[in-house]
Amino acid sequence: MKNKTNQTTIIYILASIFLAIIYREVFSIVFPSNPSSFSLLNNILFILFSGIILRYVLYKNDIRNSEIYRKLKNTNNEIKESNEKYDIVSKATSDIIWDWKITEDTMTWNKGIESVFGYNQDQVGKTSEWWFDNIHPEDTIKMSIKLYSFIEQKTEKWQDQYRFKCADGSYKYVLDRGFILKDENGKSVRMIGAIQDITKQKEEEQRLKLLETVITHTKDSVIITKADLNDGKFPSIVYVNPAFSATSGYSSDEIIGKSPEVFISTNADLEEHQKLINAIKNKEECQIETLSYKKNKEAYWVNFNMLPVYDSEGELSHWVSIQRDITEDKKQEVEKEQLIKELTQNNKDLQQFSYITSHNLRAPLSNLTGLLNLIEDIPIENQELKEIIDGFNKSTHLLNDTINDLVKVIIIKDNPSIEKESLMLKDIFEDVFSQLDFLIGLHKPIILFNFEEISFLNTNKSYLESILLNLLTNSIKYKSENRKLKISIAAHDLGDSVILIFKDNGIGIDLERNKDKIFGLYQRFHDYPDSKGLGLYLVKSQVETMGGTISIESKVNIGTTFTLTFKNR
Amino acid sequence: MLETILCIDDDPITLMLCKMVIKKALFSNEIATAKNGEEAIKHFDNLKTNHSINKPQLIFLDLNMPVMNGWEFLERFITEEYSEYHDTKVIILSSTIDPQDLEKSKKYPMVIDFLSKPISKEMLEFLKNKI
Repeated sequence: MKNKTNQTTIIYILASIFLAIIYREVFSIVFPSNPSSFSLLNNILFILFSGIILRYVLYKNDIRNSEIYRKLKNTNNEIKESNEKYDIVSKATSDIIWDWKITEDTMTWNKGIESVFGYNQDQVGKTSEWWFDNIHPEDTIKMSIKLYSFIEQKTEKWQDQYRFKCADGSYKYVLDRGFILKDENGKSVRMIGAIQDITKQKEEEQRLKLLETVITHTKDSVIITKADLNDGKFPSIVYVNPAFSATSGYSSDEIIGKSPEVFISTNADLEEHQKLINAIKNKEECQIETLSYKKNKEAYWVNFNMLPVYDSEGELSHWVSIQRDITEDKKQEVEKEQLIKELTQNNKDLQQFSYITSHNLRAPLSNLTGLLNLIEDIPIENQELKEIIDGFNKSTHLLNDTINDLVKVIIIKDNPSIEKESLMLKDIFEDVFSQLDFLIGLHKPIILFNFEEISFLNTNKSYLESILLNLLTNSIKYKSENRKLKISIAAHDLGDSVILIFKDNGIGIDLERNKDKIFGLYQRFHDYPDSKGLGLYLVKSQVETMGGTISIESKVNIGTTFTLTFKNR
Repeated sequence: MLETILCIDDDPITLMLCKMVIKKALFSNEIATAKNGEEAIKHFDNLKTNHSINKPQLIFLDLNMPVMNGWEFLERFITEEYSEYHDTKVIILSSTIDPQDLEKSKKYPMVIDFLSKPISKEMLEFLKNKI
């Protein structure tokens, strides 16, 4: 810079001197007679002098120029830096930055609009209308009222929470904060804001609110206490729910800071109480039943459950205690026990009664049969007497059979658990068939067996035999006259149970009409002279006494199938 | 054929029936009867002093009787006091259906069978083989 100033000054001086010399030469040629009127020395002095002045002016100017340049450069740098910072922040923040020029109503969004809400840049509207259109309808009014009162400078700050629609149609909860730029007249011209996605926080907040309703609405009392024992006593209470206040009569203000010993009876059950203290010492979950006292000293039974709660560092922070009023349960339990006791006694009495009754019926009846047996050997001449005694004989035997059947029922019903043994199915059937030798010989039914899957059955021998005898005699008794009787018996292993399927092609039973009566006592479905209506009742009783079930399928004139299911073990 | 038997039952018809059937079946020569346990005990007490009466070889015993029932009789009869008659066999002849009675009867060694009324010729034939 200085060099240039010097250079300019030197050029000026040299040029001026050169001009002064030229001028002097021309002057001496034109006016040779008057040389004294021109002084070269004076001119040169003048030139040098003006050169110094020029240099000074140039120098001053230079200084001012360089000052301006320096300032300009600084401003420039600041702007550049600020722009860079904005870019970096805008890129780094997860917030969505928007810039709204209010007077022109143009709006621009940063990249966040894509990364958070999923909008491509070409999907994003250029005006504020697009912004408002995407706010959840329920939030729009409240949000715009707040925003416009801010723009009109009625409020200092603006921040708001609302739901903003994503590109996929779902909504996200956002927190939007903005500031405003004003022109020289104080009018709002531009607004810049930052939107933060707070969906997760909102959801968590709602989840917590929901969870809180459980505690505030449950009928069980909930108490939260501190973690540590308070001088060997229960830790002090920090929270009680409304249910606790409602049950106990203590308001939360009264009870917070105190120990649960205020209401838990310490001497009702020392063992249970100690159990609880030990659990607190060992930081273990504990459940006891104890007497608790209301504020009015009324006692009630509670199921008291204490759970340790740990903080994020795994340190015990609190105890949560849930208490259920079980006074009613306790009362019912006592009533139930009393009822069971009474019923058991009743049952025993009835059983005894039935034994005595049957004994007292059987005793004279056995005399009658005994006497009739004796008459058999005495010849009776009188025809009328003979007929009378005959009728007497038949009635006595019928009465005897009925009573014997009833006795069988009483004995089965009296044996709720009977002894079982592992028996070979084949052997049982052989036994049963030998007892029915006569009937089988008479009717010659076709009998098919399928015991391939299972050959042993854990059962009671006499019951199973009686069941099979009844079913077989039924099949023979109620066989069809039009076709040869076919009986098939199969056993299947179902793992934990065994089923026996007993099928015949007899006359069947009309189940539509008799479904409810089929296994009933003294129910008869065919008018056969020797049918008493006892067989299936006995079968069902015996199956059930052995812990099994029986079901029937039957079609008139096609046949009947019984399915017996027994537990295997 | 047995020499003497004793039937203990409170029901006179049963006793009558017993006598008739036993006679018919030629089961025993002599039939003594007692209306309950106490009478039966008295019968044995008599036997001790009066040697003209035969001691029974077999007793038919009912369970349900007034004054002293079958069980009470057995409890007395099993004591040392009547040890000289412990070779006498006892048949319980009852109308009971209570299964516990059968179990109970097994406690007494002299009880050799538990039979259901009424007494019959077939029953006596069976007993003849058993004794």
